[in-house]
This record gives sequence, structure tokens and C-alpha cells, in this order.
Amino acid sequence: MKRCPLAAIFLFASLAVAAAAEAPSELKPFVRGSWQEVLRSHKGHPTLVHFWGVTCGPCKVELPLLGQFMKDHSELDVVTISADLVPNLPGAARAMLEKAGLGSAENWLFSDGFVERLRFEIDPAWQGEIPRTLLIARDGTVSTIEGSAEMPELEKWLVQQKVASK
Amino acid sequence: MLRMSLLATLAFSLCQTTAQAQMSHHQHASEAACEEVELRCASKVTPAFASDGTLWLAWMAGGRVSVASSKDLGRSFSAPVQVSQEKLNLDWGPDARPQIVVEKSGGIALAFSIFRDKAFNGQVLATRSIDGGRSFAELQPITSNNESQRFAALGLDTDGSVFAAWIDKRNRVPAQQEGRKYEGAGLFFASSKDGGATYSEAQLASDNTCECCRLGLAFAGPGRPVVVFRNLFEGGVRDHAVMTFADPVTPGEVRRVSTDDWQISACPHHGPSLSISSAGTYHVAWYTNGKARKGLFYARSQDEGRTFSDPIQLGRSDRNPTRPYVLTGPRGATMVWKEFDGEKTSVNAMISHDEGKSWSKPVTIASTTDTSDHPLLVSDGQATYLSWMTKADGYRLLPIGDGS
Repeated sequence: MKRCPLAAIFLFASLAVAAAAEAPSELKPFVRGSWQEVLRSHKGHPTLVHFWGVTCGPCKVELPLLGQFMKDHSELDVVTISADLVPNLPGAARAMLEKAGLGSAENWLFSDGFVERLRFEIDPAWQGEIPRTLLIARDGTVSTIEGSAEMPELEKWLVQQKVASK
Repeated sequence: MLRMSLLATLAFSLCQTTAQAQMSHHQHASEAACEEVELRCASKVTPAFASDGTLWLAWMAGGRVSVASSKDLGRSFSAPVQVSQEKLNLDWGPDARPQIVVEKSGGIALAFSIFRDKAFNGQVLATRSIDGGRSFAELQPITSNNESQRFAALGLDTDGSVFAAWIDKRNRVPAQQEGRKYEGAGLFFASSKDGGATYSEAQLASDNTCECCRLGLAFAGPGRPVVVFRNLFEGGVRDHAVMTFADPVTPGEVRRVSTDDWQISACPHHGPSLSISSAGTYHVAWYTNGKARKGLFYARSQDEGRTFSDPIQLGRSDRNPTRPYVLTGPRGATMVWKEFDGEKTSVNAMISHDEGKSWSKPVTIASTTDTSDHPLLVSDGQATYLSWMTKADGYRLLPIGDGS
């Protein structure tokens, strides 16, 4: 009698995990203070932070390449931040991320109308041009790629991270 | 004198701030103060003066474009008129805004872009009013082509015709069919002889320009439109160029404003500003993040854009200066831009009385503690005014002068 409920719980839990893996990920609202939260939660891990927007032409080209890059490198933390003006379109942003294979990344959406302040918190010199990628090393060193990133460039950086950790 | 007058302007702006802040409703998730169609809910507001001194505003709010006028420099407005029956999916890109020109006869031409589909392809729509802004004709696409169009700019020529320029992606289709890579978008133009009711067939002025920045438009003389735009130079360098039309149907050559060397495959969402003085001086202000220079810059040309002065930098580089705007008037040239100090956005202004050779010290003329539209300048033919929509403090029209 005791085994049945346990088996049921195990089955239910397994199904729930599988469902969670397949379900479209929710977009986290990026507001004042979120940037520090991102930095804190990925501290010590090589992290790629990608800023993009649904109306940005070069972003549409780059997003699937990043999706593949994430798939190929499970050791990397991937964070995307939709940095368009708000009101933003979570549905469109989520659909583009899913299509690009980035649905399971940590995905954020600018959700404060005062975008100047959000950008200032991230980088006072950034005026909002997208795409933009920040590569954050284990020691917190940030390398900024303005515009579309070249995948070989990302590969090279990741190799350097592995070498540095040895 | 300059300082005193600017201080008076600042004091006026602070009074307005207090009064309007009490009326505003803070909704942090939105760039607008509210979701209705009124002016106080607008995210983008574009001004134009009629020749009789009436101020006209066209704004985006609540999914509509609305128009109203003021006979007392923005203290009170006529009942707003919405230019469409239905709610529109308006282009909310940072550099998108409704365009408005007011003819001497009182006719009003408007143009703005919408997102036509889920892929954010744009469409420029145009309309006009012939009854003093009481009603507007049914919205018409500015061109019959269905490829994406955005960032229309309208200008009123001296003969009353309306010149329109915009960014248009139609040329990517044949390129893709031929297997060629197509960068950016084309700069297209058309003109209207009936006050914006119908436009001539769209023509290409220059291909492969930046697809996501506003255009600067002015006239070098009757029938001679001039457009400044972020171009795509060799190697994907997104520096600025100017084109002087020989006449409204004949584009000129692409002339480089500055070699900033900003090679980037990205949307800067940050277009230039152009004004041409009665003496023929081209004044251009722009943003770059190039290898040669970074930040906001100004340069002038006295030979129709063939050569430009050495760029001068605007604003404090540690305060993220953005959105420059330049306007010449009978009392000289005025330039404004935004700066952000981590908490508040301020608009700084400076003035030149010698065709842009020298400028006054920058002075802060307005500020706000929440999001805001780009600062714009507008002239009634005598004074120059800052036109600025802010979420927290509403719409402001502030005279900028030096008392001369």
C-alpha cells in the first residue's frame, strides 16, 4: 500500500519535470535592480548576456545562432534581455526566443517604462543599440560585443574560460 | 542675458512640473503615463507652428494618433481629433513619431508608421485635413508597395507641396531572389502637390542605408530638399550622410558628414537632426559610437554638404548624452539634447549667433524623473521653443531665448 503512492508521486514528479522542460519559459520582468540580481545569481559562472529586441533586424538573424551556441555549450549560462521600449510584447518576444531555441535560457523583458534608467544601471555608456552581448567571466570581467556577435568569437572566449578555470 | 533668460525658462518649467505632476498617474510598466488617447497619455508628441502662430501637436497615445491646436503657446488646447476610427498598431520604435506639417492655407498633412504584421513590418500611412484639423481623410498608404516602411519625415516646400522621405525595405526582395545579401534598407521619397492627400510614385534616393533610425529633413531653398541619414558605408560602417536634392524628383549624391567609423551590425535607434539657416549653412547633430569618436556631435557645412567642419562634442560624456536636435531661426541656431544622471533626465540647450561657429555654454532648461520623449525644437518664425513630452510632468513648450 505504501509503495503505490510513492510510485504515483514519482511518476507525477517525473511528468511535471518533463512538462516544465517542454513548456514555454516565462519572461522575467526586468526592472530597477534586476541587473544586480542577474550578476549575483551567475557569479562565478561564465555567462553570456544577450540584449535584443523584436523589431531589430540584425537580432532576428543572430538569435537562432545563439540558440545553437547555447545547445552546443551546456556549461555556459545564457541570459537574454529583451531591451525594446515598453510597452513591450511578451508574446512576440517569447515566440521568437522559442523559435530560436532559446526558450530554456533565462529570459528577461524590459518592464520599466524608464528605459534610460535600466540601461544606465547596466552600462552608463550604452544608449540602447541592439543587439549587444556581454560576456561575463568567472572572475566578473565583462567583455562587451556591440552589434551582432560572431560565433567563433564566442567559442574563443569560452575556450579561454575553460583554460582559466584549470 | 542668456543665463537670465534660460533661468526664467527653467523656473517656468519647474512651475509646470509641479502642477502637472499632480495630475499624472504613474504606471511604471509603460512609457506612457496612462493608456487613454489624451495628450497627457502620449509617448511621442510632434509640434508644428502654423503661419498664424497657432501651435499644432500630433501625438501617439492609446493606440491612436491625435491632433489638437493651441492659440496660447500650449497653455490650452482645442478638443483633440483622432485621425482614425480604429485603434492602430502604431510603430513604437524609439525613433518613430507622427509627422505633421501645416500649410499656409491651413491644410494639415500627417504621416506615421504602423506595424502591419506580426513580423513588425512597417507601413507608412498618410492623411490630411482641409477643414482646419476638425476632420481627417481616410488613412492611405504613402506607397502601394507592401515591403516594410518606417521613419517617414515630412517637409513643407515653399510652393506648398509636401516632401516625404522614409526608410523602405522593398529592394531586399529582388536581392534575396538573386541570392544576394542585402544590408539595411533604401531611402525612398515622394512628394504631394495636394497637401498630402496623394503622393507621387515612390523613388529610391539611396540604397543600403541604416534601417532603424529617424531621418533629418530640411530645405536648402525652394524645391531643394535635403535629407541627413545614417548610411551604411563600405564594411558595414553606420556613419552619417547628407543628400541635397537638385529638385524634388532628383536625388543628389551621398556626401559623408563625418568619418566616425562606427562599424556595427545593430540597430542604433538613434537618428540625426538637420537644420539649414537662411544663409545656407547646414547644421547637423548626431550620435555615434565609432572608433574615431563616441558620443553626440555637431558639425556644419557651408557648401551644401561637400565638406563639414570638425565635429564638436555635445554634453557630458559621463551623463549619457542622447537625442540631439538642432534648429535655426531668425535669432540664430539652437541645439538641445538629453542627459541622464542615474535618477533624472535633463534637457540641455545652447545657442549660436554666428552660423554655428561658436556656441554658448550648455544650460539645463528642463528635467524630469521618469521616462520622456526626445526633446524637439520648434519655431513660430520669431522665437524657438523646446517641445518635450514627459511621462511624469506631461507636455511642455518652453521658450528658449537669450533676450536679444
